[in-house]
Amino acid sequence: MSKIVVIGAGIAGLTATLRCVAAGHQVTTITKGIGGLQLGQGTMDILGYMPNRVERPLDDLAALADEHPDHPYAILNADAVRTGVNYFAELVGEDLLVGDPERNVFLPTAVGALRPTALAQPSMMAGQLSDGDSVVMVGIRQLKDFYPGLAAQNLARSTLPDGGRAAVRATYIDLPARKGEADATALTYARVMDDPTFRQLFVTAVKKVIEPGEKVGLPAMLGLKDPNSWREVAEGLGTEVFEVPLQPPSVPGMRLNQTLVDKVKNARVRWVYGSQVLGGVAENGRLTGVVAGTTGHNVTFPADAVIHAPGGFESGALELDSYNHVFERTFDLPLAGADNEELLHGNYWGEEQPLFRVGVRVDEQMRPVDADGSAVYENLHAAGGIIANANRWREKSGDGIAVASAVRAADSLSTPTTAAASGAMDSKGDN
Amino acid sequence: MRRIETDVVVIGGGATGAGVVRDVAMRGYRAVLVDRADLGQGTTGRYHGLLHSGGRYVVSDARSATECAEENVIVTNIHADAVERTGGLFILPPEDPQDFGDKWWQGAKDTKVPAEEISIAEALKREPRINPHITRAFAVEDGAVDGWQMVWGAANSAKLYGAEILTYHRVAKIIREEDQVRAVMCTDEKTGEDVQIDCTFVINAAGAWAGEIAAMADCHDVTVVPGRGIMIAMNHRLVNSVVNRCIYPADGDILVPVHTVSIIGTTDVKADDPDKLTIPRDEVQQMMDAGEVLVPGFRKARAVHAWAGARPLVKDGRVSAEDTRHMSRGMSVLDHADRDGLKGLLTISGGKLTTYRLMAEHVVDQMCEQLGDERPCRTAEEAVPKSEEGKNYVVTHRLEEREEDRLADQIICECELMSRQSYVDLLEAQPQATLDDLRRQLRLGMGPCQGGFCTTRAAGLALEHENIDIERATGLLRLFLKNRWIGLWPILYGDQVRQTALDNWIFQGTLDVEHLPTPDEELTV
Ligand SMILES: Cc1cc2nc3c(=O)[nH]c(=O)nc-3n(C[C@H](O)[C@H](O)[C@H](O)COP(=O)(O)OP(=O)(O)OC[C@H]3O[C@@H](n4cnc5c(N)ncnc54)[C@H](O)[C@@H]3O)c2cc1C
Ligand SMILES: Cc1cc2nc3c(=O)[nH]c(=O)nc-3n(C[C@H](O)[C@H](O)[C@H](O)COP(=O)(O)OP(=O)(O)OC[C@H]3O[C@@H](n4cnc5c(N)ncnc54)[C@H](O)[C@@H]3O)c2cc1C
Repeated sequence: MSKIVVIGAGIAGLTATLRCVAAGHQVTTITKGIGGLQLGQGTMDILGYMPNRVERPLDDLAALADEHPDHPYAILNADAVRTGVNYFAELVGEDLLVGDPERNVFLPTAVGALRPTALAQPSMMAGQLSDGDSVVMVGIRQLKDFYPGLAAQNLARSTLPDGGRAAVRATYIDLPARKGEADATALTYARVMDDPTFRQLFVTAVKKVIEPGEKVGLPAMLGLKDPNSWREVAEGLGTEVFEVPLQPPSVPGMRLNQTLVDKVKNARVRWVYGSQVLGGVAENGRLTGVVAGTTGHNVTFPADAVIHAPGGFESGALELDSYNHVFERTFDLPLAGADNEELLHGNYWGEEQPLFRVGVRVDEQMRPVDADGSAVYENLHAAGGIIANANRWREKSGDGIAVASAVRAADSLSTPTTAAASGAMDSKGDN
Repeated sequence: MRRIETDVVVIGGGATGAGVVRDVAMRGYRAVLVDRADLGQGTTGRYHGLLHSGGRYVVSDARSATECAEENVIVTNIHADAVERTGGLFILPPEDPQDFGDKWWQGAKDTKVPAEEISIAEALKREPRINPHITRAFAVEDGAVDGWQMVWGAANSAKLYGAEILTYHRVAKIIREEDQVRAVMCTDEKTGEDVQIDCTFVINAAGAWAGEIAAMADCHDVTVVPGRGIMIAMNHRLVNSVVNRCIYPADGDILVPVHTVSIIGTTDVKADDPDKLTIPRDEVQQMMDAGEVLVPGFRKARAVHAWAGARPLVKDGRVSAEDTRHMSRGMSVLDHADRDGLKGLLTISGGKLTTYRLMAEHVVDQMCEQLGDERPCRTAEEAVPKSEEGKNYVVTHRLEEREEDRLADQIICECELMSRQSYVDLLEAQPQATLDDLRRQLRLGMGPCQGGFCTTRAAGLALEHENIDIERATGLLRLFLKNRWIGLWPILYGDQVRQTALDNWIFQGTLDVEHLPTPDEELTV
């Protein structure tokens, strides 16, 4: 049994934590806050665009790897992605993620785009539209993050995956989540939707505005804790319904996040929440522990190996300072792409911004490597958004990279026992 | 073709043009103002936000100093709702020439700019973040002025006096009949329609574009040299009063608190084209360094947005064209009857936003004289609509309003506490507006998230207006994101990078906006 420290509690950190626990390690997970999982759309993306729309993500990974040999998927390959995604799907269960990693589904977004993703929540699946479907998007007057007209009219003018069109209209209901409240988020609604009484009120209100034969698109707020809430709504309405993810606070994202966090907390993990890891303690090219800032003083957590899953720029793990210097905040790891002359350019709708490709380069065991390709620390592994050379939000590849790298990192941990066994211990200087 | 008849056409909807049209209308003329874009979209929307006390010019330009001091009082009064009476400080850092302190103090007395020397302790009490090593501090009457609010105030006042305000009308030609101006030809940028405005007088207030306009009346060689300056808004008020460096006017020497942000500026570099102003990284660095002198730790604050404006400086043969800061910043009126033998055309350019009313008074006086009318100027005495009570702007006003309507209304832009009602009302009044046009009046998307959370809401609500279809609503969303980025990427560092990454996750990650049905032609107006 080895002592593993996982840094970060986003999708990568949580997945790595559970994978390590399953392998019998003693895990400490240190995080300064909640990760990005709960802010996202709440599905499992593998690869959506490259840049054309991807139908079969695992098949297309090879082509992506050919084109971009430094892409994380080129290092991980399709099998690793399949393993990671299946592992994640098992963790959250069929109440929260369904589908087939081999095949993308195309689901309506809140502005009416058809977004590819690999696995999705069962409450979203009826959003796969086909030619001739009649759909009604239902908004709630008091919920400001969903405009059914925008979603409906853009969907109506989109070509569906089968080449056809759907007839989509928009309507509203008027139903405050709490009495007299004009301004509510999806989270407020999701909480009250867990209550069967409110659910009934909701069904009654929606029933009045829909026509027979219509599929019903609803803002993603059909319950937070109760995974069957949406089914009851569908039964009550007597038709198929689908949830459309909204900008944060994202209820589907919260469902995934909460499920994983609960699992971690129930899994004999030492959970250190609200502490930022400030650096490592190294000896002979290995980390022997990490130092975290807690209230008042710094604490060293001993580690046989470390999985570093702190996210990217969005979480503050990577930073661009006012002198245009990019650095990695925790271990000052070498970064790929940071010396690019033009990190940013002025065309919003143009080519991707090179800044957001910056990250750590990793070897097959997901260990950050320096310019020569040798591991910075023998036993430091990276997972998720910190890894360089992906264009995550455009490709829709963030989740797949995160879970695949987390599982790969956990599975290839270089702990003293394994390292000694393979004779791989080298005496690299303390950097 | 549409045809309109009036007495006076005012070209340019910046501070100067808005002041002129108000003055003309108040003196009883029929007037039409035209601008190729929205009001306050030229230099007036790309300036520093400072209502000068005159302090900045007490040594370099005595006349401007006195004019600013006088106009400051008037503008604070007639545009009460656009002006925050922040007060200001001139502080002398230890590394700057120390004898300038005495020169400045003498200058303030000579030019009658109200000023008072205060102790360093008092200065630090008023502004705890400023450089504690300063050697002298003077308090002045600087204020912050919202240029858009001011311009709309003047325009609305003009409307009450019968003037017509035509935004998105681009002037293409000035028609003359021999030596007399007869009409202005425009294109309605929204519909593509040609519009002829018959008139007897034209006042050219097109700022940095005034030379182009004069040339449309065959009056050539009016050279307006654009002097480009950049400004950077930091995400909160590092100071609550205007902080000036007490030196001979130079780059990056003023920090102005405007609404929820504070703005550092500015630079001055000759530009070729006022429509293509850059925000070079080295100038951003220069502003950061200058900010550090005024407020130590400045670089650690978060920059939210940057922009560049062009000073409309009329070329003066006495100074080199490279050195725009030392050209006449005073106003200049060109009489084209004198200069080119064309009656019915005056060009007004230069000056400052602070002195916009005075500039208007001068040029309209001159027009009256040419027309042989005796009609006195009254613009200094009467407040514009919504400022009649003389209540000056305070930064907390929206907090107070939202507190009141918190249960009845939604907040569409959380950063700037913009309510749904205020947005829907303005859209109803200006259904052809872009989200940027609405933003300039409502501050939609101007806070730290730079549109991350409110853009979709704004587009969704726009679609609910009967005259806005899905193509336009989607185009509005696309255009807003594109335009916000113009002012973001040059200053993107620190926490604003985090914000941008989150915003990208929202738009591209969750909403997949790039894959919405794309228009045949991208929306631009
Ligand atoms: C960097 C900088 C900082 C400044 N800071 C301050 C400050 O803090 N305080 C202060 O008092 N002053 C300041 N000034 C000065 C002040 O901003 C300007 O003097 C003032 O805004 C000029 O207003 P304007 O109306 O003359 O020009 P503009 O606002 O540029 O108006 C000209 C208008 O003409 C329109 N136009 C052009 N071509 C056509 C056409 N063909 N048809 C129709 N319309 C057309 C344009 O769209 C534009 O709206 C600053 C200036 C700069 C550049
Ligand atoms: C007093 C003051 C306070 C401000 N406070 C804030 C704030 O708190 N937060 C904030 O986000 N912003 C703030 N701004 C900046 C503001 O949001 C705009 O970026 C700025 O006014 C530029 O004008 P715009 O919005 O009309 O143009 P943009 O949004 O930059 O662009 C609109 C149009 O102008 C054209 N254009 C863009 N750049 C240029 C250029 N350099 N030269 C010529 N044409 C150009 C574009 O092609 C486009 O058609 C403030 C500005 C001022 C003057």
